[in-house]
Amino acid sequence: MTLQACLLLAFLLFSIGVYGMLTRRNAIGILISMELMLNAANINFIAFAHYKAADATAGAVFAIFAIAATACEMAIALAIAIIVYRRHGFLDVDQLTELRDPDV
Amino acid sequence: MDSLPLKDILFYITAIIMVAGALLTVTVRNVLHSAIALIGTFFASAVLYFLLHAEFVGVAQVMVYIGGVVVFIVLAILLTVRLGERILEAGKQRKIIAALFAAAISVFAVLLLKETNSIVQTETEDFASLAAIGERLLSPSSTGFLLPFEAISLLLLISLIGAITIAYIPKEDKHMEGK
Repeated sequence: MTLQACLLLAFLLFSIGVYGMLTRRNAIGILISMELMLNAANINFIAFAHYKAADATAGAVFAIFAIAATACEMAIALAIAIIVYRRHGFLDVDQLTELRDPDV
Repeated sequence: MDSLPLKDILFYITAIIMVAGALLTVTVRNVLHSAIALIGTFFASAVLYFLLHAEFVGVAQVMVYIGGVVVFIVLAILLTVRLGERILEAGKQRKIIAALFAAAISVFAVLLLKETNSIVQTETEDFASLAAIGERLLSPSSTGFLLPFEAISLLLLISLIGAITIAYIPKEDKHMEGK
């Protein structure tokens, strides 16, 4: 169990999250994949705080702030998902093209 | 150092559970199943935080992510998925491109990891105990985090109000509900 092993694990989780984000068509599925990526970032924070830090406690505090920010972001994002579902009756990101420039 | 092998074994078990859970999360067709697989990944990362001696972060992970975010996701899925609805899936072409992109990121990351070989590793043990974190969060000195702590509480309040405002249906729009 070294810094490299933890970082490798975090990178793997991040790329799995990227894969999920690109392949899901349900908006909530995309949010779930994003959670995986944010979790990978948190693992990086804690791994560096544990193995290599002049001020390790600050690293842990940073991870806690990241967790709180994620909770805020999920609350807003899921509220938007629910209102989009109410308006359109579906959450398929391929069909939600209202904000897309029609010329592109 | 004699406790090292046990820690290593625990780390590899956690890592395998985490990667398997993450793979399940992104590959199962049903979004509800994917949210349940996410619980496994989050729980395994909480165990990893404990192994890295960040006890408070591990407990916060279980409470906020598993107890809060995942429950919220499951509720949102139950509110937005109709029974018998066709499950939308990306085409094969998009899946292949996404897999290649993710693999490219992993390869790039492994190449970057070589740079970290020269880092001198020290294992800090008691850096995230409740007392250490509590003192740092609420200390008004220049190394403390009192101002960010208050700012994040304001952010939580704002997002709470924002989420209610966004999801709230005004009375005259009630017909939208049945749509």
